[in-house]
Amino acid sequence: MNAREGLGGAAIFLAAVVIVGALVHFIVILVIPIVATRDAYARLQELGPAGVTIALARPSPTERRFPYADPALASAFCRFDLSAGPVRVKAPVGRAGFASLSFHTRRGAVFYALTDKAATHGLMEAVIVTPSQLRTLVAHDDEDNPSQDLRIVSAANEGFVLMRAFSELPNLYAAAEAQAKSLSCASEPAPK
Amino acid sequence: MIVKASVAGAIGVALGLWASRAILADGGPFGVVAIGPWRVAAKAGSLDADPYTRAGLERSGEIPLALGEGLQLVARVDDARRPLDARCSYRVGSRTPAARYWTLSVVDREGFPVENAAGRYGFRSSEILREADGGFSIFVSASAHAGNWLPIGAPDPFALVLRLYDSPLSATAGGIEKGAAPSIVREGCA
Repeated sequence: MNAREGLGGAAIFLAAVVIVGALVHFIVILVIPIVATRDAYARLQELGPAGVTIALARPSPTERRFPYADPALASAFCRFDLSAGPVRVKAPVGRAGFASLSFHTRRGAVFYALTDKAATHGLMEAVIVTPSQLRTLVAHDDEDNPSQDLRIVSAANEGFVLMRAFSELPNLYAAAEAQAKSLSCASEPAPK
Repeated sequence: MIVKASVAGAIGVALGLWASRAILADGGPFGVVAIGPWRVAAKAGSLDADPYTRAGLERSGEIPLALGEGLQLVARVDDARRPLDARCSYRVGSRTPAARYWTLSVVDREGFPVENAAGRYGFRSSEILREADGGFSIFVSASAHAGNWLPIGAPDPFALVLRLYDSPLSATAGGIEKGAAPSIVREGCA
């Protein structure tokens, strides 16, 4: 083997390493969200069943489940499953301070969010429906007396709703916690 | 030949895994908007987040703020682009972009609050002491400081997180001017 052949071999070797490396890297990046063993939804699943409102512990140095959560916010969630029918979400709005509802897919992305500014009669309320449930509901809607519901379409049957309530002062945190816990997610009969 | 090919393959796989881990730990290369020392993952909570952002969120387990709820800015460096150092003290102020409420807190490398003797993990816009002109200064340091003191609990690398709730800027992270975000000035080091 002369020096030139050795150099060519080394170049091919390096190229192979880089190509395999790049390929593995892209596959890993694309596969991680699909496997999703450690994502927010998987962590929420550990805390309780679907359809139940569960309060999240206040973020602290020892409470290490959800990073980048704000210690000034109290939050509660419920996982929903639309296979049995639409889910009605209700959350009362507190006196002062910020409160919000965010609707997440199974993969964690937000497909809808509303804040207390959108509340009517002191309540943030919405109905989560699948595309086919929405079609049935719309077909049954009374034209003269239209539904007042805010209908939010979820592409998949499963996901979760997160309620956040802001405490303006440290001693108001307990009130914010109580507000977040008052989130309710009730399954409704499927429209026929 | 076969030996050489498998060695190349093995090194390639290792390289690919290492690169994925390193890039995700760094928060991903796309969709990040810089405002002075602050970084915003502008599309973190949205359906059209890029694959790196999505993979990063999967690993961390973070539940991102929705665009309509607010915006989260993270700083790991000061105004002079030096990494935040727990042995130093910093002054953060004096204004924030428009928002109904904001909070500023200290987090560790993984994004969790840091234990400290004062039990204080952050400040709310509704509880800080302000100057006559409405501006503010928050002092981030290991040792106690008069005024709004935000303690650094551990001698490890840390980050500052500024969250803007109900901000009109939510949908347009790119629209925040550099001067609108608070500055992070290093005042001295022990």
